Amino acid sequence: MSIAEARGLVKRYPSFELKEASFPISEGRITGFIGRNGAGKTTTIKALLNLIHLDGGEVRYFGKPLIGNENEVKQQIGYSTGTVNWYPRKRIRDITGIVKRFYDTWDEDAYRKYMTLFSLEEDKTPLELSEGMKVKFNLLLALSHRARVLILDEPTSGLDPFSRSELLDIFTDLKHEGVAVFFSTHIISDIEKCADDIVYISNGRIIAALPREDFAAKHSLPGETLEETMLRLEKEAAHA
Amino acid sequence: MRNILAKEMKLSASILSYLFIAFGLMFLLPGYPILVSAFFVTLGIFQSFQSAREANDLVFSALLPIAKRDVVRGKYLFVCLIEACGFLLMALSALVRMTLFSDSIVYRSNALMNANPFALGAACFIFGLFNWIFVGGFFKTAYKFARPFVAYIIVGFVSIGVFEALHHFPGLSWLNAFGTDDLGRQLALLACGILAYLLMTLLSCRRACESFEKIDL
Repeated sequence: MSIAEARGLVKRYPSFELKEASFPISEGRITGFIGRNGAGKTTTIKALLNLIHLDGGEVRYFGKPLIGNENEVKQQIGYSTGTVNWYPRKRIRDITGIVKRFYDTWDEDAYRKYMTLFSLEEDKTPLELSEGMKVKFNLLLALSHRARVLILDEPTSGLDPFSRSELLDIFTDLKHEGVAVFFSTHIISDIEKCADDIVYISNGRIIAALPREDFAAKHSLPGETLEETMLRLEKEAAHA
Repeated sequence: MRNILAKEMKLSASILSYLFIAFGLMFLLPGYPILVSAFFVTLGIFQSFQSAREANDLVFSALLPIAKRDVVRGKYLFVCLIEACGFLLMALSALVRMTLFSDSIVYRSNALMNANPFALGAACFIFGLFNWIFVGGFFKTAYKFARPFVAYIIVGFVSIGVFEALHHFPGLSWLNAFGTDDLGRQLALLACGILAYLLMTLLSCRRACESFEKIDL
């Protein structure tokens, strides 16, 4: 069942345009959002989080438009925006202390669990964290308030292979709890490992938004891996 | 709004915003343009905008489960809180000068503006200018603050100069009242200053909320 939906998202920048991007995000499924650098992944994710002003289209969560229902909707969304550095000189304990005040469903047990799993220390500041640990800190905040939808921008970038594998396992666990996980990546093996659905964006246009098997049936040549398919599709797009 | 104010105070604010509140006590200084204290209080607030920008504060706030306009309101609330604290110290200092030291020669021989209700109203006007020109100007982009701050400095200091000079104009010497002299007219001017502050702040906040909705973070 679709728990969130992008409907015809349009955003025009002087040198880039997001062209009527539409796709669903389904409950209890992992959606991999894939595309090369500059394809429009971050713009789309910013639109999903209402960080940019759209020129057209709308984002809906739980059947309601995001605009006008921000408080209610965002209570149930977890987000992570890669390695962005929040309050670099404040302690993690202090940042978390403020964030949890905003969430009615803050789960202290989950917070402690992921804190241990990610080997984060509350007395450290973001400035003292490596890029990979910053990603983990962002994920910690996203995972600690029983979100029904997780919107994650490049959550695996900067992580070592072990942490990546652990994170993808967490996604799978969350999926089994009914959480919708939507994450962007340009690491195709991450998609192959855990994604149920694929949303593929190229040059600002959504080329496909399908279950992974349907995507392979429609776009892959016999014997081709997902990575080979993506590379071929990008090359074809470049020569078109 | 309590949560967003707590976030402003604990995460976004620079320590200088709190320390510079103490400049409100400059209202006690004789032979000094006391309205500059209002400028120093706002300079402390400016430091918070600077450090908040470096900490990606606005994106962080916009991602919290609150409406985007509440991010702006939280910022204004923090600014008003600091200004109110500064104003409180100015008011206490003015009260001391108006009562305990109303006949002090040091203050009576002061060529500059006296600390009285009119001066407090003028300080409110300076605070209002900061909210209108700087805070409102900042939220046009939610990023650039140099231009609105320079504009505020220019308008602010011209205003301070005008307020300081007014009581030297013929017929306006009552503006520099000592003790409880001309209290009725003095309090009326204080009320005017507070009204101007409220108008500039509310209109600026409304405009900032509208523009913040349209800004790409």
